[in-house]
Amino acid sequence: MNDASDVHDLESWLKEGYPQCVRTAYLILGNRLDAEDAVQEAFLRAWKFRDSLSMESSVKPWLYRVVVNTCNSRLRQEIPHRDHRGTEQQLSSIITSEDVAGRVELASDIMRALDDLPDHLRVVTVLRYFADLSEREIAIAIGRKTGTVKSRLHEARRRLAAHPALQVESPQQIPTNEEANG
Amino acid sequence: MTMIDETTLSSSLHAAANDFLVSRDAIDRILSEAGESQDTDRRYRVPDFVRQAGRGRNFWVAAALVLAVGAIALPLSRGVNNGVSAIGPRTLAPNLGAAGLSIVTNQGSAYVQTSSPDLSATGQSSAKSRQSLKIESSGTMAMTVPNGSVQTALTSLGALAAKDGGFVDSTQATASSRSSATYSNATIVLQVPQRLFATLVAQIQHVGHATSINVQSNDVTSQYVGLQSRITALEASRHQYLSIMTRATTIGDILAVQTQLNTLQSQIEQLQGQMNLLDNEIDYGSLSVQLSDVSHAPTTAPSSGIDKAARASVAGFVAGCEWLVKIAGPVLFATLLLGALFIAGKFTRRALRRRRI
Repeated sequence: MNDASDVHDLESWLKEGYPQCVRTAYLILGNRLDAEDAVQEAFLRAWKFRDSLSMESSVKPWLYRVVVNTCNSRLRQEIPHRDHRGTEQQLSSIITSEDVAGRVELASDIMRALDDLPDHLRVVTVLRYFADLSEREIAIAIGRKTGTVKSRLHEARRRLAAHPALQVESPQQIPTNEEANG
Repeated sequence: MTMIDETTLSSSLHAAANDFLVSRDAIDRILSEAGESQDTDRRYRVPDFVRQAGRGRNFWVAAALVLAVGAIALPLSRGVNNGVSAIGPRTLAPNLGAAGLSIVTNQGSAYVQTSSPDLSATGQSSAKSRQSLKIESSGTMAMTVPNGSVQTALTSLGALAAKDGGFVDSTQATASSRSSATYSNATIVLQVPQRLFATLVAQIQHVGHATSINVQSNDVTSQYVGLQSRITALEASRHQYLSIMTRATTIGDILAVQTQLNTLQSQIEQLQGQMNLLDNEIDYGSLSVQLSDVSHAPTTAPSSGIDKAARASVAGFVAGCEWLVKIAGPVLFATLLLGALFIAGKFTRRALRRRRI
């Protein structure tokens, strides 16, 4: 990517996408510090290898691919050696709203359920339902075919539905942070 | 099958991830750090090379193509040369080596085929091993001579064999009729020293008109060495039994050893006989010559134009099939190689891209 405008686009993408990428990495890795480290490393790599962006059709999946690859590297190298998942205390301490015990409980439950998912299922779930990537974009991001993404999403939803932490009688709309604040 | 609701899942994930603040200062630090290191860590990469234009890229691409084409074409051309040229007609080769060439003449044309150990290709380095090889040669020849000349031809052939140190093994002649005093057909078997076998074959062709020659040579070295080994082993056993015999004191022991000795002796003599026969075959080549006068020679109808064309067509078809079979191997190899390279390249490219970003 030699064009100055492309570089500017990437720069703006990095700036705007940083919080979202950190949160995505947090859901994948389960630890905020690991997530920030991973995203910083990923962004450095993305900037370093920004030339390969010219072969891509879109910045978003490309950037998420960098992040996911970095997270996968960390999952393979570091995570097995320690308990990386956030505890309920961690979740409570990072809540910025006034509370909401139900939200904390649900966040805790979803993190526990995600923790029990295999890495490859967790990644597609987070990319689809948190980062709002389409199946095609997820396929680009993880370097697999769209059919693979679909089957993984299906399997992930099936496993999450069967997870004891998410056994709710009826699905309810969870208020977002902004709604809770006011 | 129970599935979690997508809206619930999405809301839960947002609830879990959105409830902490992310400092935006980090991104400025990342970008400044990236800007500082961008010029110091530029690595040479394949995609850059592929995208870049210029003489350098063109040169290396051309070199790679030439290498690839050469690697594919070389075995192909060898296969074609070895296959097609062996089918073509040859003039009758008078210089037949001891290795033995199978020659069949038919109406003036001849085809040369190596049907026996090809020693002509061996170099000086293998001279010693060639000398130690045991080759037996034999052949048959059909020949026509002028009317009333069969007897003369028989005499000439016998004289040729005797001149070369050989002899007439057998002669069989048939008169054209009971009242006739001359022979119309005859078969003579000549035995000549192995080293002069090829010379004799060449000389005999001058006696009459050779219509077919079939010469075969067999490498019997392994058979010869095997017989020698077995005889040596049996003789060693016989010596051991003889030493046992000297220590035998009872009649029963003596009889038992004697029985074994008799058996061994019988086997040794049997093998020795086979070896003598082999020696004789190795020392002398056998050539059977069928003589017939012109009036009794088997005639073949002259080929018409259509017949020739049909034969040429069949020969061409067979040659084409042989060429296809011969070329199939290199083509298959090239296809597999290209496929493997393509798959390897695909995986490598994917791995590199995933590793880099």
